[in-house]
Amino acid sequence: MKPTYRTLVVISLALGLVSTGLISCDKTIEEPQRVGYAPADVDASAGTWKTYILTSPASVTVASPSATSSADYQAELTELRSKSTSLTPEQQEAVVYWGAGAVYRWNEIARELAARYNVPPASNADGKYPIPDAANPLADPKFPFANPPYTARALAYMSVAQYDALVAAWNYKYAFKRLAPSKVDATIRVALPVSALPAYPSEDAVVAAASAVVLKAMFPGEVAFIDAKVAEHRNSRQWAGMNVTSDLTAGADLGMQVGAKVMARARADGMSTSNNQTLTAGMIEAAKSRGQADIWLSQESPARPPMLPNYGAVSTWNFDRATLVKLRPGPAPQPGTEQFIKELDELKAIQKNQTREQARIANYWADGAGSYTPPGHWHRTAADAAHEAKFSEVRMARTLALVGTTLQDASVCCWETKFYYYTPRPQQFGLKTSVGVPNFPSYASGHSTFSAAAAIVLGTVFPNRADEFWAKAVEASDSRMYGLIHFRSDCSVGLECGKKIGSYAVLRGKADGSGL
Amino acid sequence: MKKQLLYSLCLLMLVAVPALAQMPHDAIYMPKKTICIAGMYGQSSWSQYWEGTLKRENFNIGTHTTRSLSVMPAIGISNRVNVILNLPYVWTSTSAGNLMGQEGFQDASAWLKIKALQYGGFSVNAIVGGSVPVSKYVPDFLPMSIGLQARTATGRLLLNYTHPSTGLYATAHGSYTWRSTIRIDRDAYQANERVYNTHEVSVPNMYDAAVRFGMLRRTWQTEVFAERMAALSGDDIRRNDMPFPTNNMQATQVGWYGKVQPRNIGLNARVAYVTSGRNAGQSTSYTVGVLFQLNVK
Repeated sequence: MKPTYRTLVVISLALGLVSTGLISCDKTIEEPQRVGYAPADVDASAGTWKTYILTSPASVTVASPSATSSADYQAELTELRSKSTSLTPEQQEAVVYWGAGAVYRWNEIARELAARYNVPPASNADGKYPIPDAANPLADPKFPFANPPYTARALAYMSVAQYDALVAAWNYKYAFKRLAPSKVDATIRVALPVSALPAYPSEDAVVAAASAVVLKAMFPGEVAFIDAKVAEHRNSRQWAGMNVTSDLTAGADLGMQVGAKVMARARADGMSTSNNQTLTAGMIEAAKSRGQADIWLSQESPARPPMLPNYGAVSTWNFDRATLVKLRPGPAPQPGTEQFIKELDELKAIQKNQTREQARIANYWADGAGSYTPPGHWHRTAADAAHEAKFSEVRMARTLALVGTTLQDASVCCWETKFYYYTPRPQQFGLKTSVGVPNFPSYASGHSTFSAAAAIVLGTVFPNRADEFWAKAVEASDSRMYGLIHFRSDCSVGLECGKKIGSYAVLRGKADGSGL
Repeated sequence: MKKQLLYSLCLLMLVAVPALAQMPHDAIYMPKKTICIAGMYGQSSWSQYWEGTLKRENFNIGTHTTRSLSVMPAIGISNRVNVILNLPYVWTSTSAGNLMGQEGFQDASAWLKIKALQYGGFSVNAIVGGSVPVSKYVPDFLPMSIGLQARTATGRLLLNYTHPSTGLYATAHGSYTWRSTIRIDRDAYQANERVYNTHEVSVPNMYDAAVRFGMLRRTWQTEVFAERMAALSGDDIRRNDMPFPTNNMQATQVGWYGKVQPRNIGLNARVAYVTSGRNAGQSTSYTVGVLFQLNVK
């Protein structure tokens, strides 16, 4: 090799090495880490807050705890000391994980289950779509298909169960006033911040048990997974030196009682007939008789029956049926009208020249198959905000119950509207999509309705962030036009309805005795 | 000035020199101070794909087609050291359903090919390469995305025996490709049976291996090959869900490659067919290219 070429080779090799160095070899995925905190306020009076399902904390029972001076309690302390003295790395990891917050983690787990089950069934050889079977949840197709309405409802029930159970727990905590083990015995080594909150019954055990009852009913194929989480959560409280066994046992018992009461409502809320496909012919006729000439048709091949056409009949949380009918918007612009053509042209223009920023927004909010859905997205936003504000467990549960119930109210109202008008998707007028076409009528946009309702509630809970949440709602709404699957009217009307829906949850929150 | 340049180019085209257009997976080297520029059009289509290990069709996709147009210069730094560059523009489309096709410049790649050892007709060649995405295409709208947005670094060892008088040859090579993590527009996604609450996605590293048999003459080349590429980790596409960059994509394909380059201008063509795979389409692909060789003395 001539010296010149040798130099060239050396330079190229050096460049290669430098560029390899620049692109770090580390492939670990960094996720935002959440750690525990002592709450800004323990909300000592939360035992009086208004519950959703429980008529009063007295409707569940909690056994009186043994006194901290008793031999029983001292034996429990000895057991706790031995469990919390030296931890394996896995135990330490579990302590940190669960220490981020019981409600926070169970909300995250529920979203993960939703994502895992959010895949539409495949068509079979006959061109039919088999219906998921609750009695055989792990067969193909898996039960449930955790689509947005299903997930909105599952998360709402779990959040309500957590909240009601925690209000009852707070009531008993302050009735019994049994101190945290480390406050009884300073030699107990704790791995997490200890607040002034009485320890019996354990709020962590309450949340784990109540959440597990709801999640096992909603995701019957995941019983073993949920049980393992409950066990790890419970153990983590002892590894962390936070609870003696009787704190946990009483908490689990209370959580299960509340979970059962909440699931009794769920079993009678109309969900069992939400997928009644025999109703669609009548719905289409009714929509036509109201002047809807072009009706929605499934854009899938083979045509898939619409997602939960009778979900609009499911019970709401924050208002009654008559109010739901009043909340339903007027009809969408009819194909052929000037307004409709204008909105269609707007989408055609986006399709022709979709910017990268429009694609980004469409993708960010897509929350389609395989995701935790838009209701899951807003639960995450709410849980993160409550975590950042260092909310107590009960106040975080209240936030998520307000957001969760309004999201389900939004899904019920939106589905009722969708199947009342039965309007076509933009794809029936030749448009493509950069996110995937949902398999149900277009008007009004679910994303817009969900997002506005959640943003209005969150804006009330976190007034200094109200503009930020509303901007997110508007972006989520716009994302459906950027993804080419909704007309502007679908989105703007969805936002308006969502705002009104959210205001009912806000009214409830203002009257729940929390003073917040 | 322009006329002069054109005139020189025309002259060049008429000069008969050994024409040796080459790739990052052969043992052919451009002589020093020689550049071969290939302009290639490629098309790859599938109507069936493997969802994990389940082979299926999808009526909402029909036939999926990827087209590409690329420029690939190969530069002879010395007789034993070559640099190969490549920049493709890629389009995707489907024959059914409503998924929007994507297009754009994909990933620019660069390869350094070194003939480390030569003993008679036998040679050992070391090849290192890397690629970087050159546009902000969306990587997780699969199967419509034009690429995965990962930066890559590849190390390849290539052994070749060419019979000196007949030009019959056999080549075997294997590579390891490191792929960077990527960032997607979403801040949560499901992979490896869990939800990741972040924009960052780990794209599995991969290997490839191939054997090639052919004949290389002064003005033409013909070759049959079998290639295997597979991720070294990763998950399967969930039942009836869309693919994702974390998937363990694998494919084995067989094909033919040929080239004629009687003068400075030449043509090449390649056809390939995927015989088995996982989390990948069963594609049939072809590429045709125009080769143009010039000396920079």
